[in-house]
Amino acid sequence: MAGLELLSDQGYRVDGRRAGELRKIQARMGVFAQADGSAYIEQGNTKALAVVYGPHEIRGSRARALPDRALVNCQYSSATFSTGERKRRPHGDRKSCEMGLQLRQTFEAAILTQLHPRSQIDIYVLQADGGTYAACVNAATLAVLDAGIPMRDFVCACSAGFVDGTALADLSHVEEAAGGPQLALALLPASGQIALLEMDARLHEDHLERVLEAAAQAARDVHTLLDRVVRQHVREASILLGD
Amino acid sequence: MLQKREKVLLLRTFQGRTLRIVREHYLRPCVPCHSPLCPQPAACSHDGKLLSSDVTHYVIPDWKVVQDYLEILEFPELKGIIFMQTACQAVQHQRGRRQYNKLRNLLKDARHDCILFANEFQQCCYLPRERGESMEKWQTRSIYNAAVWYYHHCQDRMPIVMVTEDEEAIQQYGSETEGVFVITFKNYLDNFWPDLKAAHELCDSILQSRRERENESQESHGKEYPEHLPLEVLEAGIKSGRYIQGILNVNKHRAQIEAFVRLQGASSKDSDLVSDILIHGMKARNRSIHGDVVVVELLPKNEWKGRTVALCENDCDDKASGESPSEPMPTGRVVGILQKNWRDYVVTFPSKEEVQSQGKNAQKILVTPWDYRIPKIRISTQQAETLQDFRVVVRIDSWESTSVYPNGHFVRVLGRIGDLEGEIATILVENSISVIPFSEAQMCEMPVNTPESPWKVSPEEEQKRKDLRKSHLVFSIDPKGCEDVDDTLSVRTLNNGNLELGVHIADVTHFVAPNSYIDIEARTRATTYYLADRRYDMLPSVLSADLCSLLGGVDRYAVSIMWELDKASYEIKKVWYGRTIIRSAYKLFYEAAQELLDGNLSVVDDIPEFKDLDEKSRQAKLEELVWAIGKLTDIARHVRAKRDGCGALELEGVEVCVQLDDKKNIHDLIPKQPLEVHETVAECMILANHWVAKKIWESFPHQALLRQHPPPHQEFFSELRECAKAKGFFIDTRSNKTLADSLDNANDPHDPIVNRLLRSMATQAMSNALYFSTGSCAEEEFHHYGLALDKYTHFTSPIRRYSDIVVHRLLMAAISKDKKMEIKGNLFSNKDLEELCRHINNRNQLCFLQAAQHSQKQSTELFQCMYFKDKDPATEERCISDGVIYSIRTNGVLLFIPRFGIKGAAYLKNKDGLVISCGPDSCSEWKPGSLQRFQNKITSTTTDGESVTFHLFDHVTVRISIQASRCHSDTIRLEIISNKPYKIPNTELIHQSSPLLKSELVKEVTKSVEEAQLAQEVKVNIIQEEYQEYRQTKGRSLYTLLEEIRDLALLDVSNNYGI
Repeated sequence: MAGLELLSDQGYRVDGRRAGELRKIQARMGVFAQADGSAYIEQGNTKALAVVYGPHEIRGSRARALPDRALVNCQYSSATFSTGERKRRPHGDRKSCEMGLQLRQTFEAAILTQLHPRSQIDIYVLQADGGTYAACVNAATLAVLDAGIPMRDFVCACSAGFVDGTALADLSHVEEAAGGPQLALALLPASGQIALLEMDARLHEDHLERVLEAAAQAARDVHTLLDRVVRQHVREASILLGD
Repeated sequence: MLQKREKVLLLRTFQGRTLRIVREHYLRPCVPCHSPLCPQPAACSHDGKLLSSDVTHYVIPDWKVVQDYLEILEFPELKGIIFMQTACQAVQHQRGRRQYNKLRNLLKDARHDCILFANEFQQCCYLPRERGESMEKWQTRSIYNAAVWYYHHCQDRMPIVMVTEDEEAIQQYGSETEGVFVITFKNYLDNFWPDLKAAHELCDSILQSRRERENESQESHGKEYPEHLPLEVLEAGIKSGRYIQGILNVNKHRAQIEAFVRLQGASSKDSDLVSDILIHGMKARNRSIHGDVVVVELLPKNEWKGRTVALCENDCDDKASGESPSEPMPTGRVVGILQKNWRDYVVTFPSKEEVQSQGKNAQKILVTPWDYRIPKIRISTQQAETLQDFRVVVRIDSWESTSVYPNGHFVRVLGRIGDLEGEIATILVENSISVIPFSEAQMCEMPVNTPESPWKVSPEEEQKRKDLRKSHLVFSIDPKGCEDVDDTLSVRTLNNGNLELGVHIADVTHFVAPNSYIDIEARTRATTYYLADRRYDMLPSVLSADLCSLLGGVDRYAVSIMWELDKASYEIKKVWYGRTIIRSAYKLFYEAAQELLDGNLSVVDDIPEFKDLDEKSRQAKLEELVWAIGKLTDIARHVRAKRDGCGALELEGVEVCVQLDDKKNIHDLIPKQPLEVHETVAECMILANHWVAKKIWESFPHQALLRQHPPPHQEFFSELRECAKAKGFFIDTRSNKTLADSLDNANDPHDPIVNRLLRSMATQAMSNALYFSTGSCAEEEFHHYGLALDKYTHFTSPIRRYSDIVVHRLLMAAISKDKKMEIKGNLFSNKDLEELCRHINNRNQLCFLQAAQHSQKQSTELFQCMYFKDKDPATEERCISDGVIYSIRTNGVLLFIPRFGIKGAAYLKNKDGLVISCGPDSCSEWKPGSLQRFQNKITSTTTDGESVTFHLFDHVTVRISIQASRCHSDTIRLEIISNKPYKIPNTELIHQSSPLLKSELVKEVTKSVEEAQLAQEVKVNIIQEEYQEYRQTKGRSLYTLLEEIRDLALLDVSNNYGI
């Protein structure tokens, strides 16, 4: 079998999308009653669940408390059945820790932490299969919104890759596995500020601009979708409240 | 809006587990249909090519058809082809990258009327694969479904034909939808393209070969050869030293059994192996063919074998003789082929009787290549009978591990067997010389020089170049009738009393721009081939014989080197390189120049330039010229002496002059008299080459093209030393100087042939001189062994050699670099240059050693054979001659026949096991007995107790006869008929052979090793006598290859007798 053709001459990707098209996104807010905020998102076959607790007082050692702002505590874990080969344990490995750290940086940039000094916000993400970081961020955004924690803006994330001189938005697992460069971007869409940008492969500087633009465009598209989900949620909630 | 579907794939992992993978699959409402009939062009958003609108139908090939008949679908006559995505993916997954790329290129090709329709992404066309449905069925179903959709999409306006090989599909879908027809491919071609013959033929042959392949795969369970290892394994193995890389060389005389692998470059340094590796038998050779770059695994030491030393004609007596082979040498087996070196082969079809004996499989025929080293090739053709009497070119397609012989196909017919032109064409093809005339595009780049618009020196060039037309006396010395004069000389006294020596070379690079058509053509040709009745120029004749040729009395561009020499000591004080304009005053030939040098002024009448002068100016000019030649000779002697001091070699070689009459027939062949002028000219050229080499190396230390001549391996001299010892001489081979000296001393006053044979053996031991790029070698390796120079290149014959053109460009770039000017054009980088050197070396070796030298030899043999063919060896006096033994083998001796210049083997033991014995009258007969071989002699003892001994360098009488062969060239056969030297009974014969003996006596010593000659060249001499005889009977120009090994590398007198 010849190597997989990620982008055909006619401009189709393996799963039939064109270069700039996103996977199908479906999301729901308020999926758990116990947590302060929760959200569930599906990006293609990638499914993520996020829960938010807080703001609440620092648990455990008081020494961790920050005098001027809230502490954002993130934990990432993926289900053992979520990947092609079954994982040993759901969290605590190096990759999960790194992901948690990245999430934390992203949300420290987005949440107005100075409003809640000496308190803690916990974001727990459960994630399953492919395109991971972006789905986590998007799910967490919705969960934080659901918890009613003030934020500067939505945080919308999307990945982008680069194949044969074309930037591809929102990589699927097959495209990730092919080993090309991959870039993860978290954007505050209203201001256009970048909350996090991460890439650990080699990519020529000349191409960076284009890949970045593709990722940003995709992130803005994600924003419209998330925005729609939030409005829908608010509408339903207000109906339930009996307005 | 996209629709998301999920596709479930079941894959089998390498461990054999089944893996269930779920992949997303997005469908869209609009996929470009690329049809001009599309009702909503806006929605379909066509970009790229559309199907043409003037077709009667669209054709949609099924996946199987695309896989198998893509070659037919490539016909430009077939129009309106829609490739479905499903079919394309089937090709990609099952046929591999090569065929898929072919398909992709076809789709991109704007001239070809075909498109791809992405049916799997169209929401109405996509059909999910059903549970339990086979892949094939699903693919066919999808394609049909898409075809129906497409038909409706075009509003039923264009009938669609789906071609498939699946009978069931035809049954099932054939009449399901009106307007969409489902038929077989054969049926389609018959109905729609009955006139397209080529397609039908191709279709038949594809069908046939597929059927054969199926049969074969059923039949052959047993493999004939082990599989080759994958490339990564080979590369890793070579790096780790487990395997060895080299070039396969098949022994011509034992092609079935013996082949040798000559080690290549790095691998030979790492391992301690010095000799070649023996590959014994076809099985160990594992489908590699002569010339392939192979990877070899060494066998354990106890399986090593020795090479056979006996002379033999076929392998059967190899076993019968049962003699002990020589000491074991490294033996290995081929595990993989890195580079296949397949070329076109000339073959002969078996005669009728043989075909019948081959039996059942009449379509497949084993043909015999002309070259002994190539295995028989299996051809599948129906023309076998008509091609029987022809020499035919074939190409090898493949060699499966299941097949004893390689598979090939027929390419073209060369000519009848035995026909002169056919045989010559054979020789040319076998040596890969194929020269077609220059194309129009190439000729368009050439400057014009006709009587209407004569070529002139342009004023811009006049400004840029140094004008030597008035100030210098420039003249050329060349062989008589030479058309392409590329070197001229000048010498004069400067005002300060010093001498100025100038070498002026034709400025070819002025006319040949880098990377122009003509440049590329010249690069591939790499050199001019000189044949007697035809010449294949490297450059078109407008350049080679006219504008670049430094003829007498016309203005020409040149590249000059001028040295200022001290008036007394001739030390070089200054040197100047640059572009010039010259006008050669005299175009002398060697003999005339020599006469002038000797003070014999009577030749003046032969020199055209002097004809129209009055007595007085003639006298003055003559004196000037004589002085110049004298001075040149003086300088050359001096330079030569200096080089001799360092150990420059003189090797065996006799040069021959060819004189052609106006019909291009060979008029006369004169052994070149060893004139001092030759030496003078050669010495000046060597000096120029040497200085240019220094210059370009200094300017471009990493990308200069130089020529090296590595010192020979000492082991190769062992035979020479032993032979010399038999005659009581000692050859010191430690350095080039001692070798040269001891060769001079090894002279038997009674037998001049001894020295010639020794010198030719020394030549055999030499390595070849090679072009190389300075960036790829250490500086110590630049040395030129034969010329005893530290740096050397080729600069002086840009008309005839491409390497010189490259060197010219380098020199020009070096000059502009010195002047801090921008270097025009791109020079070759080290890597490119290395590549180029390899090509030229190859070409030289192929074209000279094997083409010029080999084809020369082959054609010479051809004529010798034709000469002897008419003679009855039993009665004809001429077929009996004197021979000298120059090497001893276990069952025979190798003989050199000075009279005809033939080298050949004579058996002392025939096929029936009888040995030779000589009675008291010294006439030989065959009797039962045995042979015993010693170091320097071989003794044959009969059962009666008679014995006869042959020593090295003994003279014997031999009879020459012809061994006819249908598939190969005829060969000459020698038979010893007496152990006494042959007395020539006929005075006329003595007379005939006298020029030859003279030429032997006169030891023609070409000063440079570069210009060393083959011993075989002497042959050419003799043929000339034969020519005249032969031409009388046949009355046509005879072909031979001659001349021009002058500037060749040391020739590898490749050993034909399995030494």
